[in-house]
Amino acid sequence: MAGKLNRRQFLIRSGMAGAGALSLPALLAACGGDEGGSGGGGGNSLFFENWPLYIDEETVKVFQEASGVSLKYTEAYNDNNEYFAKVQPSLSKGDKIDPDVIAPTFWMAARYVQLGWAQKLPVDKIPNIANLRDDLKGQPWDKDQEYNLPWQTGVAGIAYNMKTTGRELKSVEDLFAPEFKGKIGLLTEMRDTMGLVLMGLGKNISKLSTFDEAAEAFDKVEKAKNDGQIRAFTGNDYVDDLSAGNFAACVAWSGDVLQLTKDNPDVRFVIPEEGGTNWFDTMIWVKGSENSDAVAKWMDYVYDPVNAAKITAYVQYMSPVKGVQDELVKMGGEAAPLAEDPLLFPDEATVARLQSWGALSEEEEAKFDEAFAAITGA
Amino acid sequence: MNATARLATVASRPERVGLGVMVTLSLGVIALGAGWVAGPSAAVVAAAMLATVVGLVSVAFVGGLETRRALAPYGLLKPGILWLSLFFLAPLWSMVVMSLSSKESRFDFFPSFTWEWDNYRIALTDFRPQFLRSFGYAAVATLLTILIGFPLAYVIAFRGGRYRNILLGLVVIPFFTSYLIRTLAWGNILADEGPVVSIIDGLGLQGAFESLNIMDNGKLLNTPAAVIGGLTYNFLPFMVLPIYVSLEKIDPHLIDAAMDLYSSASAAFRRIVVPLALPGIFAGSLLVFIPAAGDFVNAQFLGNPQTTMVGNSIQDQFLRQLNYPVASAMSFVLMFIITIAVLVYTKFMGTEDLA
Amino acid sequence: MTAFSRRQRIGQRLINGVAGLGLFYIFLPILVIVIFSFNAPKGKYNIKWQGFTLDNWAKPFAESELTAALWVSLRIALISTFCATILGSLIALALSRYKFKGSGGINLFLVLPLTSPEIVLGSSLATLFLNRGVDFGYVTVIIAHVMFQISFVAVTVRARIRGFDWTLEQAAMDLGATPSRAFWKITFPLILPGILAAALLSFALSIDDFIITFFNAGSLVTFPLQIFGASRVKIPPQINVLATMLLFASVSLMVAGTVIGNRRQRKLAGN
Repeated sequence: MAGKLNRRQFLIRSGMAGAGALSLPALLAACGGDEGGSGGGGGNSLFFENWPLYIDEETVKVFQEASGVSLKYTEAYNDNNEYFAKVQPSLSKGDKIDPDVIAPTFWMAARYVQLGWAQKLPVDKIPNIANLRDDLKGQPWDKDQEYNLPWQTGVAGIAYNMKTTGRELKSVEDLFAPEFKGKIGLLTEMRDTMGLVLMGLGKNISKLSTFDEAAEAFDKVEKAKNDGQIRAFTGNDYVDDLSAGNFAACVAWSGDVLQLTKDNPDVRFVIPEEGGTNWFDTMIWVKGSENSDAVAKWMDYVYDPVNAAKITAYVQYMSPVKGVQDELVKMGGEAAPLAEDPLLFPDEATVARLQSWGALSEEEEAKFDEAFAAITGA
Repeated sequence: MNATARLATVASRPERVGLGVMVTLSLGVIALGAGWVAGPSAAVVAAAMLATVVGLVSVAFVGGLETRRALAPYGLLKPGILWLSLFFLAPLWSMVVMSLSSKESRFDFFPSFTWEWDNYRIALTDFRPQFLRSFGYAAVATLLTILIGFPLAYVIAFRGGRYRNILLGLVVIPFFTSYLIRTLAWGNILADEGPVVSIIDGLGLQGAFESLNIMDNGKLLNTPAAVIGGLTYNFLPFMVLPIYVSLEKIDPHLIDAAMDLYSSASAAFRRIVVPLALPGIFAGSLLVFIPAAGDFVNAQFLGNPQTTMVGNSIQDQFLRQLNYPVASAMSFVLMFIITIAVLVYTKFMGTEDLA
Repeated sequence: MTAFSRRQRIGQRLINGVAGLGLFYIFLPILVIVIFSFNAPKGKYNIKWQGFTLDNWAKPFAESELTAALWVSLRIALISTFCATILGSLIALALSRYKFKGSGGINLFLVLPLTSPEIVLGSSLATLFLNRGVDFGYVTVIIAHVMFQISFVAVTVRARIRGFDWTLEQAAMDLGATPSRAFWKITFPLILPGILAAALLSFALSIDDFIITFFNAGSLVTFPLQIFGASRVKIPPQINVLATMLLFASVSLMVAGTVIGNRRQRKLAGN
């Protein structure tokens, strides 16, 4: 039964391939997908493991109906390092892992690419790749934009609960203010937390290349920890603590806080005057996966500004797709005001304050990670 | 002597055969599992194990009903014991080997064995605070479980009457909800704007709690007290049940008699009830202390960066930093200390009460 | 009662009061869990009490990943409990039925997994699997669960069939039954309730195991692992609903276990 279905699906797809402008290698890849596919879906199925709360409820369903691809979408990507540790045993042996596509943060994506655990995307089957924002193109570790396609981008800044702080916050230094002793949260994501602290000390994180240049910031955080200034190092769960008033202020991601503000108007988000860290999570196609056709269809779909705008309206992070702003206006209703939101579409003055981390050598990165692990105390 | 005769002699001592075969096979699976042998020598070990089994079968065949009867317990034990040898003992060996290994580079996936004693230095110096905290928190939590658990067990055993079983059920039932959800619920309860802090503030007791080091800067959640409280809560049944079992055995008439003889009830309590409850208290202490010392969930959900326990460190080093050697060294130290405690305990108390 | 002095009565009240407080303490978080299963959060987060609703109970399986994780856990618990119950009961049978060389050592050996910290069991087993290049997933989790359940089943069954009258079996054989017939017709029905009770409890252990599973699951997501993941993002009220359901299921199983156990005791007493 499953075999018949596969063959029929294959015929349909071959027909489409003839009608469309698909290349021969792609067609061969699709055949390969069918042979290798076990069980139902074969080459016409896709497994995307993403961060939690990172897509609206409609997109997956609509995409499946529109494309005929059976998409398995899960939210088990909770932490870059933890996920890497989970898949390393399989990938380093050359085995495949279950998901076809994952969306690590850019620095971790770079690691996958450098280790050879990401494959080249079927770029010629993704015409909408042209909609990728120019500033995200051609990362040093993927100059020709062959391995990664950003999912969402955002800013790490400071979130605070007006009710607890009693005043507006503006500076990184506020995180170290004695009045908030024991009420400060930092992120376990080293680059976001340390990026802010480093900028607070006047460093440019895009030019940082050795640990020694950053040591001062690590000392500062360690001292704050020992003084009891810091209540917890968290992942996304800072949202709970912020809303419950356990945190007066914390390092936070822009989109989360915009969401939270709906429930709790006391919660605010600010990009500190010293600057905010810019990051992006990016889709990569994991080595060993054979479903190139489905990968292409999916990536093309979410890079259509109409579809991307729907995701943006829900997750409220900055979209990497050009044209989303106009689409939000067209959507109207609750989505329209988002087109004017400075955190989604920052003005030039704000953009000038954002910095992103440069590439670190393996050795230096290890030093950063070790120093940070020693501080988080685990 | 021909082979059959030799077999018959062997079969006359079936106990030795049974025990010998079991030990041999266990060692065999450990050797294969933990990687003592590899390649051709692994095949030799496997062949030797097969030969042992064949030998056992022939002994059972040659020997009579008595022999087979004497061999029976070993036959019953074997599947379970071999499973434990392969998936409990062999892993401990792997852990020891790993704790002396090192990595050549950061993403070199598998560390190699190099007598890297430095891992132990790191475990015992860099992570000393975590070890001390683990044992300290676990000890305080154990004391608290005795203080809370003993009255509970006492009341159920002596005042419960025919509701004993229902009361005992009430004590155990909450622990059938998920461990993580229970702990998360404590997070809600202890939160800064949660019920407990509000009550304390309302009664004006904040100062008293601060001076007792239970509250810190007006907060209850994310303090050592919260972590210890979580440990106490989660492992409480392991204290109540053994104490209840030992109290249940006490004949109430004994207490009546004591009351007649001693002048006060408290003396009767001290001289009769407490000594007879001691085995339960000891067993309970072990059963609470061990999981508490190795726990990382409570410190993660209820603690702060200065309350991390050794479990958090092992978890972080193993599952996030990919530093298997140091994580293994810490695991070994933890296991070593606890095993000594268990051996001392069983030397004096036996293994009965630990069930 | 009149024999008690005033001071003694106060002492008794005090200890009753302490025990009552203890019970309240035990039930406090459960109360919170059940109450929040009726919460109607406005946004994505179930943190603050927003309003009463029955929706979460009407749609307990609305969170598909959570439900999938629950099924994974149930499947694992079924398989591992089945294996562990057989292996553990055989050990218990050997220990209580026969006197043999090495039984003291076996007793100690059985206690060791129960008295080892879970984090050591989990990380050392994961090291073995890494060493051997075994892929983490269903199989490794089941192996791990069987490992800690065997000891538990063996020790529990041994305790429950302690005092069993083995001469019954001998009597049956004297009357002409073959040993296997005597076992299946006489012994097995009598020790079965003890085995079932141990199986039920070890099933509950498997369903709720977090630490050992965390190390050996790879990308497999069991119910506790799903909760752990969710705890870092959002805790949908369905978690509370499913947890409450699991609680009731476990309690029913436990009650069933007690009833079976009691019936067995009556039966033994009758004999």
